[in-house]
Amino acid sequence: MRRAELPNLKPIKTLALAALLLLVSACTALGGGDVPNVELRAQRLNETIMCPVCPGESIDQSANPLAGQMRAIVYEKLNEGWTDGQIKDFFVERYGESVLLEPPAEGFSLAAWVVPPVAFALAVASLLLTLRWMRMSASNRDDNTEEESGRDAYVTRLEETLRPTSALDADAKDGREASGDS
Amino acid sequence: MIVEAGQIALALAFAVSLYAAFASILGVVRRSSEMLVSGRFGLYSVPALLLVATGALIYAFVTSDFSVRYVAENSSLSMPRAYTWVAFYAGNAGSMLYLAVIFSIMVVFAIAAIRKNLPYTAPYATGIAALVLAFLLGVMLFLAHPLARLETVPMDGQGINPLLVHFGMFIHPPLQMAGLVSVAIPFAIAIGAMVAGKGGSDEWVDQGRLWGMISWLILTVGLMLGSWWAYTILGWGGYWAWDPVENSALMPWLAMTAFVHSIMVQKRRGMFRMWNMMIIIVAFTMAQLGMFINRGGPVPSVHSFAQSSMGWLFLAFMAVTLIASTALFIWKSNTLRSRGRLESMLSRESAFLAQNVLFLTVAFATLWGTIFPIFSEAASDTVVTVGRPFFDRVNGPMLLVIVMLMGVGPVLPWRRATPRNALRTLRYPLGVAAVAGVVLAVLGVRQPVALIAFMTCAAVVTVILHEWGRGTRARHRRGEPYHLAFVRLLSANRPRYGGYVVHLAIIMLSAGAIASSFYSVKRDFVMAPGDTKSLGEYTFTYKGSSQAAFPDRIEEYAQFEVYKGDRYLGTMEPMRADYPSFRIASTQGAIHSAPIEDFYIVPSEFADGGQAVFRVLINPMVWWMWASGPVMVLGTLLALSPRRRPEPAEVRLPAGAQAAGV
Repeated sequence: MRRAELPNLKPIKTLALAALLLLVSACTALGGGDVPNVELRAQRLNETIMCPVCPGESIDQSANPLAGQMRAIVYEKLNEGWTDGQIKDFFVERYGESVLLEPPAEGFSLAAWVVPPVAFALAVASLLLTLRWMRMSASNRDDNTEEESGRDAYVTRLEETLRPTSALDADAKDGREASGDS
Repeated sequence: MIVEAGQIALALAFAVSLYAAFASILGVVRRSSEMLVSGRFGLYSVPALLLVATGALIYAFVTSDFSVRYVAENSSLSMPRAYTWVAFYAGNAGSMLYLAVIFSIMVVFAIAAIRKNLPYTAPYATGIAALVLAFLLGVMLFLAHPLARLETVPMDGQGINPLLVHFGMFIHPPLQMAGLVSVAIPFAIAIGAMVAGKGGSDEWVDQGRLWGMISWLILTVGLMLGSWWAYTILGWGGYWAWDPVENSALMPWLAMTAFVHSIMVQKRRGMFRMWNMMIIIVAFTMAQLGMFINRGGPVPSVHSFAQSSMGWLFLAFMAVTLIASTALFIWKSNTLRSRGRLESMLSRESAFLAQNVLFLTVAFATLWGTIFPIFSEAASDTVVTVGRPFFDRVNGPMLLVIVMLMGVGPVLPWRRATPRNALRTLRYPLGVAAVAGVVLAVLGVRQPVALIAFMTCAAVVTVILHEWGRGTRARHRRGEPYHLAFVRLLSANRPRYGGYVVHLAIIMLSAGAIASSFYSVKRDFVMAPGDTKSLGEYTFTYKGSSQAAFPDRIEEYAQFEVYKGDRYLGTMEPMRADYPSFRIASTQGAIHSAPIEDFYIVPSEFADGGQAVFRVLINPMVWWMWASGPVMVLGTLLALSPRRRPEPAEVRLPAGAQAAGV
């Protein structure tokens, strides 16, 4: 049945093509070609530096004048050929470690980075173990159900063997009654 | 007078909900149906009492009765009139009152719905819900005092944070708060069923799923409106910043997403009974954590509108409910054994399980990142910030895997799938993804992660459309016209096809998020009136600015003429408002929105002499994110709408009678 269905997929192909075209057409403008590279680098960097007077907001995001000045510094330094690391250090020196929006991957802050993947690995491992346990206990229960069904079979067999006897009994009874009547 | 009446109503509501909790639980213990009924009707009266209290508070606001402390702190004479109606939930005490009202109304509906269907569960669920309500009301009565009077009456109030004076204020905060508190209802039903020893007989599942989905829907809409508000009004060109309060609203959403999926496995296969209990406990804990972080939590946030020490009470209550529900879970865990069994690692059941683990891990990673600064400060005395780059890097890959799973999970059958069949169903999606990848790469999407993410989106869309196409064709072959066949297909299995609609919406959302986070472009421009600049294909001319003065603020508008290529897009007027009494400013971006990309201008500074600094952004495909909202709501409503059953009378009609009738 499914095999027979498979060759007739024209409408689905059309639909799939339509979806694809939709996505593609939506993405045509994504090149952003004429923006200079420093611009993109500055933008990425701005997203990792916090505006010191507006907690939690990056200088990329904040409308505070200080954030604007810091953006200008980032842009200027990049044009002067500074590396991302140098620029970050420049701000850390002035405002402290907390000016960076991601914790450094060293010292105690390493825990910030290590714990989520470890938690994920543990979750997957415990999931796999649980699944195995579920399947094993399920197969144990299978044995039980087999036993149960075995018992059921036994009971049915018993009933089957009993039925003719009772029928015979009834017949015999009937016979006796009949003979009694007569 | 009215205010005092409200205060009495509030005290009564607290006493009644405490009574309802004890009567419900004592009623089960003593097997007294009279007590159960009296407890239940007591609870039914709480919304009325709380509406009296709310009415009193709103009355005080609308009449600018500054003798009420809360009114004096959260409104002023210069405030726009309409906002006095909603200012009551802008501050701490009032938002507690709002939470209590909305929760009591939901509780009444939920209890009325489950009372007949779940006779054993209902009393316990009533008791649990009443306890939560009593907690909220107790905090309000003894600590927050929304209706307390001041000794000396000020001439004018202090007003509310101007960022809250916006149309979004009418929808986002109330929905978000309602979403958080609504998680307590599926929690009460699930725990109630478990305590009643019915957690293993799946009678609670339908109601648990229904209320779980209602809660999920409210949380979803709350989050979407929040990011829409941030994008269109707060004027920084983004919609999600991984701010602590955003995170704390996202965590219960993630847990509830896991719950509404895994509950389906219990509904269909009688499995995951323990797992579902654990998830709903986690979800409720995270919802409480959300309220705690919002109500004066320890993490600095752009949402810190209502700071108070009251938050710690929420934390204590969270610890109590977590410990109590875990203890109950351990006590009752022997009643939660599975009916079905997991037959294969490659099955819809295991796909659901993988989805659950991923969602909960994202929730955990989000929690971890949000509270890590506290640990860091306590453990090593270094103040660190955990912000957007961290969450992008940690959660991004997991979210991508979740989207991939969205393509695989639905095509796997229940119980057992053979790898060959699964691959055969997936060959079209995989083919489309490959073609999409090539086309996109040719068009200039070269960042590998973005490319993979878009290919995944294309595959998931193909999977869903392929399924719809196959189903529609199968019905068409039985003689139904295509459009009818499609509609009937969707309404025949509503949880499934409603889920697909939601998945499509999630793909729209993901596509927008991927495109805008990888390919958004922004730049600052210093412009004097008459200047023309360009960014990308857009050319814009700054015509000048105009001011408008209001009692509480000065608004400055900039006028732009904008062209894309040769095409005239019109004038755009971004605005910046200064609130001298609060010493803060708010900006409102001007957005030209189109499915392909948004062109976005925000004024950052107006200097003397007409010069000004503007941020100009091109955000690709953000339009799709807002368009996904209504689709998501429709899909959810389809998924939770009850299926119409054929009228039993018709079925019972003898064939002859039917023929005679026709």
